[in-house]
Amino acid sequence: MPEATTAPPSGSAVQPVRATSRRPRRPGPPGWVALLWLGPALALILAVVVYPAVALVRASLARYSITGLRTGSAGFGDYRRVLHHPDLGRVLSNTAIWVVGVLVLTILAGLAVAQLLSKDFWGRRLVRWAVIVPWAASLVITARLFTLLLDYYHGVVNEILLDLHVISSPVDFLGSDSWILPSMIAVGVFVSVPFTAYVFLAGLNSIPGDVYEAARMDGATGWQTYVRITLPLLRPALLVATVLNIIYVFNSFPIVYTLNDRNPGFGHDTSITFMYKLAFKSSEHDVGMSAAAGVGNVLLILVVVAVYLRFVARDEVED
Amino acid sequence: MERRVVVRHTGLAGGVALALVLAACGGGTGASSSSSGSGGGASSSSGSGGGGKVSSITLMAAEYSKDHTAAFWNDFAQKYQAKTGIKLNVQVVSWDDIDQQASTAIQNSNPPDILNLNAYASYAKDGLLYSSDEVLDPAVKSDVLDAFVKSGTYQGKLYGMPDLSSARALFYNKTLFQQAGISAPPKTWDEFEADAKKVSALGKGTVGYAMPLGPEEAQAEFSIWLFNNGGNWKTDGKWTINSDKNVQTLTFLKKLAVTDKVTENNPGKTNRTDGAFALFSSGKAGMVVGFSPLQGQLDKDKKVDYGIAPMPTSDGSTPQTYGVTDYLMAFKKNGNQDAVKAFYQLYYQPDEVNTFIKAEGFLPVTKSGVQTFASEASLKVYLDTLPQTHLTPTDDPAWDKVKLAVQQGIGAAVGPSGDPKKVLDGLQQQAEAGS
Repeated sequence: MPEATTAPPSGSAVQPVRATSRRPRRPGPPGWVALLWLGPALALILAVVVYPAVALVRASLARYSITGLRTGSAGFGDYRRVLHHPDLGRVLSNTAIWVVGVLVLTILAGLAVAQLLSKDFWGRRLVRWAVIVPWAASLVITARLFTLLLDYYHGVVNEILLDLHVISSPVDFLGSDSWILPSMIAVGVFVSVPFTAYVFLAGLNSIPGDVYEAARMDGATGWQTYVRITLPLLRPALLVATVLNIIYVFNSFPIVYTLNDRNPGFGHDTSITFMYKLAFKSSEHDVGMSAAAGVGNVLLILVVVAVYLRFVARDEVED
Repeated sequence: MERRVVVRHTGLAGGVALALVLAACGGGTGASSSSSGSGGGASSSSGSGGGGKVSSITLMAAEYSKDHTAAFWNDFAQKYQAKTGIKLNVQVVSWDDIDQQASTAIQNSNPPDILNLNAYASYAKDGLLYSSDEVLDPAVKSDVLDAFVKSGTYQGKLYGMPDLSSARALFYNKTLFQQAGISAPPKTWDEFEADAKKVSALGKGTVGYAMPLGPEEAQAEFSIWLFNNGGNWKTDGKWTINSDKNVQTLTFLKKLAVTDKVTENNPGKTNRTDGAFALFSSGKAGMVVGFSPLQGQLDKDKKVDYGIAPMPTSDGSTPQTYGVTDYLMAFKKNGNQDAVKAFYQLYYQPDEVNTFIKAEGFLPVTKSGVQTFASEASLKVYLDTLPQTHLTPTDDPAWDKVKLAVQQGIGAAVGPSGDPKKVLDGLQQQAEAGS
């Protein structure tokens, strides 16, 4: 039994690697057979990852007319124009607030929801289904729904808050410069919590009961148990949830675009909607610039994820 | 220890791969790289050997309404094929996406044969289009209303064949006007302001005038106001966006919003369809600048008792109408010239073009069409002014960018800290740099 407790949850994933390295070499089939097996996967990666990436970089180095017609090479002109765009600073700070805001609130809410769902109570199955709905619904539809809920004149949210005397006049959740970003973050959290909570729920279920039993016998309080046992053992789940959420939230287009569609200019855009508007909505209307911004987005997300993983890895070694 | 190292690396690799996939997807939908435009591959320029003839052509059409647009074009395609033996592939695309789809198709060197859009001059400038000399029967050209021939002409040649048109007018809520003690719609800006104040004073969330200067159609809203102050976007071939008249117009609009507070909350961030029209349709707005499709919607809902009047002018002079037309342009592709010509020949048959326009609730683009529509009493207010209507300078490729700059920028001028002169100066600069 003690053996089972100390075994790392992801240990099974590691075993085969070591096993193969130890196995004595046997004369296998020639290399091209392996290629045959790998072929479909490689073709898929080439078509879905490599080709678009190459096309993106090529587009970012070209000059385009407003019609989309390629008129020649731009060198690094597209990149220069993106970097000198007057709204770039604003867009990047919006992106940072958006990603960090949604991430932190989602993790906190996800932990709470997972804790609730892991308890046995009447109707748990129903609640579990209900929680998953926001995740299953199309983001565009969800975002559109929230524009109706949060509307200044017709929105239900304002009506309820007015009736409860929380506010004395309606709040312009989507048009006011100080409210739009918090509104976007709230919707972002709403759609991110289900996935995150389920990751945590899986993590919670993998923590063996006897650890808690031991803690209880040693007289640990509920909060102590949570901080000293549950959270550390949830670490792998936290890691997965954080990395995936950073990527999802960073790349999220529908919420930011839909909630923000009434606001002119780039004042409340993240780097993803900035990229889209550069190509099709703003007076730049320039596919090349947009592609350059797209390359920037890829690099940005890679750097953020790499830095985060580095940071976590160092942390683990120090442990 | 060893385990941790392994986990870290697979984690990093997984994260990187995912990031790449997702970022690439993001790029694909948004911009550039996508190969998704290949859906339009049906437009086969099958004439591989020089002057061969095509067996099919593609039409990319904007969706004016869910009910009628696709129905009309599919029916049209059948007639076209029966007449010419050439297949017409119809792609109906929503207004939100058509610009992006057209751009993607051109990037992939695979434009549709016919494209229906609200701009054409940039395409003509890029040398992508047939002119009317090549594909339009002279008899049809002479039937098109002069105002639209002018707006569709780039450097002396007609490239933008109009498909339908619309004109704006002032819609007012008769019930609210009565409650506020107003007997007739305003004829001058002073009357307009006074009436808007009276309607706003009714309270209960009523707004005098719903002003949509958000990004959706800000150029249209500002256009009708500036034309009724004797201003224009361009005068004698020169940009006059920041003329004194236009600054005066925008200052008046700011006054309505900020000083008088007779508009809806945040007019610079209100779109037309889900903002201003929604307010008017729910009976909360006294006045809105509308057009015939709104009329159709209101008649269907039967919730608002409304009237339509010409726009008020700054000094009480003759009201000016702002008109809009969209275009059917034809792309030069190997061997498609005759097929395209046959397309126009059929489209401008009175039965076709007028049926389409009537179903969508818009206005005619031909002189014969004006006569056909003359019996429709509800359209009289527009039809009388249609031949002298003012349009935006769609014949200047620079307008295609100026329009976007107006949509993204002019709303800022009617905010509390907005500066109309500065906003218009900025737009003027941008227009001059682009031409």
